[in-house]
Amino acid sequence: MAKNIVRGYYDESYPPIPTGVTRFWRRNLIWQAWRFIVLNLKIMRIIVGGHS
Amino acid sequence: MGALQNCLLRMEKGDKLRFLIGTGHPTATCQGAAFEYALNVAYEIKSRGLLHMAEITWISNEYELDDFGMGGAFIKRGGYVTPTKVFSESIFAEYGIRWIKRAGVSKIEEGVAHYETLDGQMHTQPFDFAMLIPAFAGVGLKAFDKVGEDITAKLFAPSGFMKVDADYSGKAFEDWSVDDWPSVYQNPAFANIFATGIAFAPPHQISKPIKSPNGTLITPAPPRTGMPSGVIGKIVALNIVDQIITGRTVFKHKASMGKMGAACVVSAGFNLLKGNAATMTVFPIVPDWQKFPEWGRDLNYTMGEAGLAGHWIKLFLHYMFIHKAKGYPFWWLLPE
Repeated sequence: MAKNIVRGYYDESYPPIPTGVTRFWRRNLIWQAWRFIVLNLKIMRIIVGGHS
Repeated sequence: MGALQNCLLRMEKGDKLRFLIGTGHPTATCQGAAFEYALNVAYEIKSRGLLHMAEITWISNEYELDDFGMGGAFIKRGGYVTPTKVFSESIFAEYGIRWIKRAGVSKIEEGVAHYETLDGQMHTQPFDFAMLIPAFAGVGLKAFDKVGEDITAKLFAPSGFMKVDADYSGKAFEDWSVDDWPSVYQNPAFANIFATGIAFAPPHQISKPIKSPNGTLITPAPPRTGMPSGVIGKIVALNIVDQIITGRTVFKHKASMGKMGAACVVSAGFNLLKGNAATMTVFPIVPDWQKFPEWGRDLNYTMGEAGLAGHWIKLFLHYMFIHKAKGYPFWWLLPE
C-alpha cells in the first residue's frame, strides 16, 4: 500500500514559499539593479533622520 | 580545516549530520547574526547538493521567529500588513531549516544541547555541529573613586553594562515607554563618562519578558546593532566636542533608540549573481505604541525585501565601512 505522504502538521509546513516567478525576480539582474538603487535610498532615508 | 568544512566533507562521503544554530542562553540577543549564519550554512550546503544529508535546526529564545530582541515588526507587503515572523518562517522553510522557538538553552554537552521551553518542559537536541550565541554581558570592569572605594555599582548595572541617562526604575512591562531609553548616553553619576553602542545598560528589554513556570526568563535581550551603535558614538563625540568648545552641559545632539531607525541586511547566500539577502529597515527601533498605536512603528519607514540586491548592498556596506574605519579619502562623507 502506498504511503500517505502529507505536507502538514509541522511548523515548517505552513509558511508561504516563494513561487518560481518570485525566485526569478529575486535574481533577475536588471530588476535587482533597480531594487539596489531603491533600497539604498530607503536606507539613506533612515540614516539621514537618524539623530537630532 | 574548519569544523563546517569538515562537516561538508563528511556529508559528501555519505554521513547525515545535524546542525544546531541559534541562541545559547535564555536571554541571549543578536538573533539576527545567528539567523544570517543559519541561512548561509543552509545556502552552502544546498549549493553543494547536500541538503538531503543535513538536518538544520534553528533554536531561539524568541517567542516567535523574527522577534530579534525588538519585539518583531510589521510591514506592508502584497496588499497586507504582515508580521515579519511570516517572512522569517518562509525563508527558513524555503531553505529547509526547521525551528524550535521559546527555548532557553541551559547546558551544552558534547553533541547535545539541553533547553527549557516556555511551557516549563525540558528537552534535548542532539547535534554534530552547533553555533549558539552566548548572552550579552559587560566586560566586568571595576571602578574605584579617588579614595579607593569601590564604586562599580554606581557606574555599572549588574549586567556589567554602564548606566546612562535611562530609566532604571524597573517598571512593569505594561508601563514601558520609549522615554525610558537614553538619548545622550551620559553616566548620571559622572558627567565626563559616556557609554555608547553595546556598552550602555538598556533600561529593560524591548521584547516582552516572559518566564516559564519554573521561573526561567526566556526572552531576548535588546539588540544593539551596528548602525544605531555608530550613530550613538557619533552624537556622543559631537556632544563632547560641543562641551569642550562652548562649555555647554545641555547637549544638542540626541539619538534615542525610540526615536531613530535602523537598517539591517541579513545575508542569505554569498554569490554575486545568485546570492540573496533580506534588507530591512525599522522606524523606530524601540516600538513607540503611543505614537504608532496600531503597529508600534511607522509603516512608511518599516520595510523588508529579499533578493540579490540585498546581497549587493551588504557587500557595498562592508567595503564602505572598512573604507570609513581606515580613514581612507573622503571617509567623512560616509554616514553611519
